[in-house]
Amino acid sequence: MSALRLLSSAARRAPSTLAQQRRGYAEVADKISLSLVLPHQAIFTSKDVVQVNVAAATGDMGILANHVPSIEALRPGMIEVIESGNASKKWFASGGFATVHPGNKLTINVVEAAPLESFSSEAVRANLQEALKVAAGNGSEEDKMEARIEADVYEALQHALGSK
Amino acid sequence: MSSATWRNFFTYNKYAQITARAVRQSLKESERVVAEKRGTTALKYQQWENGVGGPQVLLNPEEVKKVGKSAAV
Repeated sequence: MSALRLLSSAARRAPSTLAQQRRGYAEVADKISLSLVLPHQAIFTSKDVVQVNVAAATGDMGILANHVPSIEALRPGMIEVIESGNASKKWFASGGFATVHPGNKLTINVVEAAPLESFSSEAVRANLQEALKVAAGNGSEEDKMEARIEADVYEALQHALGSK
Repeated sequence: MSSATWRNFFTYNKYAQITARAVRQSLKESERVVAEKRGTTALKYQQWENGVGGPQVLLNPEEVKKVGKSAAV
């Protein structure tokens, strides 16, 4: 008897949730509100965007509207923002955190970031060679680890600049 | 964060400063000058005793001198 009552109440609830999840394919109806901020500059402040691709420490991820709330540490890598249609803008960030808040909001806090056009491939190549030399040399473990971290950043930068 | 063993040597803050410095050093010449200024930190401290202040000591004078006095950014 109670099972029947449960079934009828569930049936009453189901149609409303189905209506909420209907999405069109011609144009994306849902956007996520992005705030991409640096300590010295706010690149985006609560801007509605379609998709944001970030390089999380656990792997590359693309964040769409209504993403589950999560906190992801970012590794030095590319942040790609797709505002509408196919146009996308890319930045390279030194690392930070991407936080999806309940209520469809995404906050990305990074220490240092710049558009890909602001980087110089020759500088990256020279820096990488320098860092690899120190990392393979005979300094202290701390210095070698520092150089290893820098080399990782330069390698990620080269990858980002190469696949522009 | 491929070399995840940095945790044995640095705090996360130090790690973030290292990666930020690497990014700043890879910018094009015009933007790099402005960016490098963001990376400098200068600390002055002064020891007080019995209500009298000692000399003010600059923690890293060579680095600060390298950047020099700048006009408003």
